[in-house]
Amino acid sequence: MRTAIRTWQRLAPVALALCLVTQWVRAAEPPAKPAAAPAAVAAPATAGAPEATPEAGAFAAAPAGDATGEGGTRALDEQIQDLKQQVVDLNKDLFVLEEELLFPANTQVAVFVSMDVGSFFGLDSVTLRVDNREVINYLYTPREVAALVKGGVQRLYVGNLKAGSHELVALFSGKGPNDRDYRRGASIKFEKGVGAKYLELKISDKARRQQPEFEIKDWE
Amino acid sequence: MIRCFGRSYLLVALLALVQPAVPAATAVGELAPDFALPAATGGNVRLSEHRGEVVLLAFWSSHCSVCTAQLSLLGDLQTTYRSAGLVTLAVSVDDDMHRATRYAQAHPTRFPMLLDLRKGVSRAYGIERLPTTVLIDRRGRVRFLQSDDHGIDNSYVAQVRELLDDPL
Repeated sequence: MRTAIRTWQRLAPVALALCLVTQWVRAAEPPAKPAAAPAAVAAPATAGAPEATPEAGAFAAAPAGDATGEGGTRALDEQIQDLKQQVVDLNKDLFVLEEELLFPANTQVAVFVSMDVGSFFGLDSVTLRVDNREVINYLYTPREVAALVKGGVQRLYVGNLKAGSHELVALFSGKGPNDRDYRRGASIKFEKGVGAKYLELKISDKARRQQPEFEIKDWE
Repeated sequence: MIRCFGRSYLLVALLALVQPAVPAATAVGELAPDFALPAATGGNVRLSEHRGEVVLLAFWSSHCSVCTAQLSLLGDLQTTYRSAGLVTLAVSVDDDMHRATRYAQAHPTRFPMLLDLRKGVSRAYGIERLPTTVLIDRRGRVRFLQSDDHGIDNSYVAQVRELLDDPL
């Protein structure tokens, strides 16, 4: 299913490009003929008027052609914007569909990471184990740590679990106070019900103990 | 006899179905697989953070005699084109982390020396011989892949320049 969705996501820009090319070809072709036809029909109707030479026709047609060109370009721009919007909407729908199909609400478990202050702990990596099985080992770059310290919340893991009791173990490693290697674990036993389950790994500073604190919160 | 042959054929067919799919190595023109690796000097580096820049991945090992010269030349290249948007990342495929770290400390470079201890990155890029270099353009696509020990010749520099000239 994921492959099919990715294929769709890859095909979307190609479809957009094809649509644009088709629109461009259509816009480029027709204006010359309809503009010339009324002039030829209208010429005999004006009695006593000098005959319209091909050159005069060409001069007369030029401003009309410009106006049509501008209007056509504007219309084409609008169509391009519409198509782009459609592609964005389609991409959004596909993303939502992918999430819903791969991680249905009744089995979904998502783990988030947040960091408060971070003076006593420089995060390097987090390893997650669910029911004694490693599900992710994530390395943090300085940019990502900075984003977390600024208040960002990262969705570290999303997966599926059947209803029942489960255990989540998180191993944090990094630099602790005095720039020493620091490794600490936290665990939680939780009940997975019918709805989606959200857990938060919270790293905060404990100023009184001059140590970082790691806790796992269950978002009810 | 025929029955036995039929059974074994069926078994082989089933095994072929059950066999886990090996991810294909990245080919030129494909999106470069993202990764995050620890650097020998500390900290981690993620490839996707360099989107918009030209990335030169150099796979090396402390056992590879040619790699030292190549890393030195890549250092010069990095110095020349850093301001134009070139980022060089050297990825070690050593099994022994301490050996790779010692090597990195003994041969200081102007770019991060990353440790691929689980070999996930070298497998993803299909590295079969050393040294191998992979050039990734500003859009994150693999554009050139070189497995040779010629060091940096003019064509190599031309490839880097071509990617640097290519706007995002």
